[in-house]
Amino acid sequence: MKTLHDTRLLFWRKMMETLRNPIYIIISMLTPVIYLLLFSPLLKKLTIPGYSSKDILNLFVPGLLVIVAFLSGLFVGYNMIDEVKNGVIERFRVTPVSRFALLAGRVLRDLTNTLVIVVFFTLIAIPFGFHVHILGYLVLLILVALLLITTSSFGNALGLILKDEDRLSPIVQGINLPIILLSGMLLPMVLAPTWLQVVAHFNPAYYAVVAGRLLVAGHVFQAQVGEAFLFMVPLAAVVVIWATKAFNNALS
Amino acid sequence: MAKPVVLTKDLKKYFSGKRGVVKAVDGVNLSVPGGEIFGFLGPNGAGKTTTLRMLATLMDPTSGSITIAGFDTAKQPDEVRRHIGYVGQNGGSDRPATGVENLILQGRLYGMSDQEAKERAQELIKLLQLDDFSDRIVYTYSGGQRRRLDVAIGIMHRPDVLFLDEPTVGLDPQNRANLWKEIIKLKEVGVTIFITTHYMEEADVLSDRLTIIDQGKIVAEGTPKTLKKAVGGDCISISIEKQDELGNKLIELLKKEDYTQQVLQDSGYIKTYVKNDAAAVTQFMKLIDQQKIKLRSIVITEPSLDDVFLKKTGYSLRDKDIEGDK
Repeated sequence: MKTLHDTRLLFWRKMMETLRNPIYIIISMLTPVIYLLLFSPLLKKLTIPGYSSKDILNLFVPGLLVIVAFLSGLFVGYNMIDEVKNGVIERFRVTPVSRFALLAGRVLRDLTNTLVIVVFFTLIAIPFGFHVHILGYLVLLILVALLLITTSSFGNALGLILKDEDRLSPIVQGINLPIILLSGMLLPMVLAPTWLQVVAHFNPAYYAVVAGRLLVAGHVFQAQVGEAFLFMVPLAAVVVIWATKAFNNALS
Repeated sequence: MAKPVVLTKDLKKYFSGKRGVVKAVDGVNLSVPGGEIFGFLGPNGAGKTTTLRMLATLMDPTSGSITIAGFDTAKQPDEVRRHIGYVGQNGGSDRPATGVENLILQGRLYGMSDQEAKERAQELIKLLQLDDFSDRIVYTYSGGQRRRLDVAIGIMHRPDVLFLDEPTVGLDPQNRANLWKEIIKLKEVGVTIFITTHYMEEADVLSDRLTIIDQGKIVAEGTPKTLKKAVGGDCISISIEKQDELGNKLIELLKKEDYTQQVLQDSGYIKTYVKNDAAAVTQFMKLIDQQKIKLRSIVITEPSLDDVFLKKTGYSLRDKDIEGDK
């Protein structure tokens, strides 16, 4: 009960921040649109097994949704560092507030923002030739949410532990590119040599992208979809527990 | 004396670093009575903030115990948290929110209803004179305004004790004096205040009771008045010509005089603490005359907390701070 109460209060604290400055979310909305306009035309002439040039967006859009979620979570550490430096986190840690709520309030705000961006982007992509299977898409949203919860918790905890932008940057930048390339978001991993495909299986975004492509086509009960959940649920749980611990531990 | 609000027993915090163990806090015993302003004075790196962070449940001690408002910080941290307010060195107000929002959120995190929190916020806005800016986003505040909001946030839930960690660092003299007034006002409405500072003027003006810490250990405690009195009478600081040659000899001679309590060298000055005796200064001047010493300057001051510190540790709080800032 108390955890829920605290989470709600802290969620609205962060949400007010977003609502006061919607410019950030508007900029975030532009990124996928730019991909759609400047990158997706390149795909038209590509021949990829299983996809005709007409439904090429069904290959591209699920990947992009997953990556949007991945990145929105990964970079939240900067905002966390800002709050650490202004003593905000310390102020909350001196109160009897639930430590889980300290994390959850932030993650839920990030989740809300991300879902708004993802849905907005989906709607934009439909006139460009993206066709979705509703049930499959809803399951995809759950996967996207799981991924965001994981990366946002990870990003927040990282900011809390490192407390310094100069130490955070190399880590998030270092993770960023390999995750994107190995997710198969730009080009499907089917085209990759075996060793690359093996490496990709350690990438949570890879599972989400593979499952996402099946889901938008309506293949909800496929093995790869199950695999994605099997990988993402425990990962999200472990990261959330670890991040809550970071709020709990005394940090100097 | 009232029952102590804060009580520590042999409190220690050791950090193991690359160059061995650092004893940041090394056996500190504190007893803070309710209703007073308790000053915790020491140079940068003396262990003030580390101690405070342990008191505020932000850090576990290596050993020793802390009791606040009757609760043990190790066993009942949440109970302790309900009874303390804390304003860290970096403040704590949320910049993208307004002052009122900050206050209400704080109240609600302590379990107040929305209505209660709003009323209490208005009370504090009045008390700390935040009216002019409490509806603005904190980003727009000046340093002094933000500090006052930080303090208001710290006492939103009516804590038994408010911890202030170096509250006036970075404020200009006018804002500093203003904040002092506000802190005294809080005491008058019944808040017990535990304040760390490395400014001795601040400790002198604010503290009812004072503890001086250096290198993790307590070196002196008492009221500012008794501490200064214990140093003795006035302090005669002189600088003389040919100090390198004549200084040591003069110090030896001064030490033999009846009226002398202690002679110290401090940043180019020879400081003689004399007994409470009006004749002491005359006799002192006579000696200077006899020795045919030419004075460059002479200043006679009543003892300050810096003198207390100098006497207890052998170096000046001022010098140490300059070192610390490097």
